[in-house]
Amino acid sequence: MDIKMRDEGEVAVLSLSGRLDLANGSTLKDQIKQLFTDGKTQIHLNLAEVEFINSSGLGALVSIMKEVRLIKGRLTLSNPASYVQEIFEITQLSHIFEIYSTEEEALSSFQVTPVRV
Amino acid sequence: MTSQEFTYPSTPRSVDTMLDDLTAVLNREAVERGLIRRMLLAVSEAFTNALIHGNGLDPHKLIKVRLAVNETDVVADISDTGKGGLNDIENKKPATPESESGRGIDLIKHFASSTSFTEGTDGGLQVTLTFLRSNKHTLSNI
Repeated sequence: MDIKMRDEGEVAVLSLSGRLDLANGSTLKDQIKQLFTDGKTQIHLNLAEVEFINSSGLGALVSIMKEVRLIKGRLTLSNPASYVQEIFEITQLSHIFEIYSTEEEALSSFQVTPVRV
Repeated sequence: MTSQEFTYPSTPRSVDTMLDDLTAVLNREAVERGLIRRMLLAVSEAFTNALIHGNGLDPHKLIKVRLAVNETDVVADISDTGKGGLNDIENKKPATPESESGRGIDLIKHFASSTSFTEGTDGGLQVTLTFLRSNKHTLSNI
């Protein structure tokens, strides 16, 4: 899995690509923990390029969500492919995550204007 | 019928290797894209269970995956050399919304057309997953 990070104001935006499974879920959790250490508490994950997710990847996202709550931060997700969205719905995790159709919508919800490159 | 067997050490990285191997076989056999996604998800769940709960992430213990592709179905056997675990599967409670684990068996049962869990006499668990090639539970082709 590839993780590209950038800042949009106070929000750390991570664009994920590839598979989100056991090994890659741990990598993602480690990167998010580093963001917490750096003082970032507003996290957005763009899932547009995630081609595969299983229960290990979902577990990593749940773990991150719980960590974000503990530090009074916020986690949003966006752009899941339809089959990824389907897995969120089957597992009923679509009810506990803030999932937006687009990154722009998610960032707007943080009241941050996305920087267009 | 095409049948192929793969063997992996019990390390987290083996999940990706196994997915690459199975994807190559399924693409070569022109298996439908939605079925490939459904299969890879279910097999990855059984494989991860074998990795963690069966073989305890011991890299010296191996996981075998056998894949058989027919015109009507695709069958995957995933077997570990661990301590069984059939009772744990049969008595498994549903994951709560905020659980970090416990969704794998539910996903397997959702996407596989049929499932079989067998405990070997020498320990270890064999999971057999059958996927009908016309099954309605198909993940999106998008």
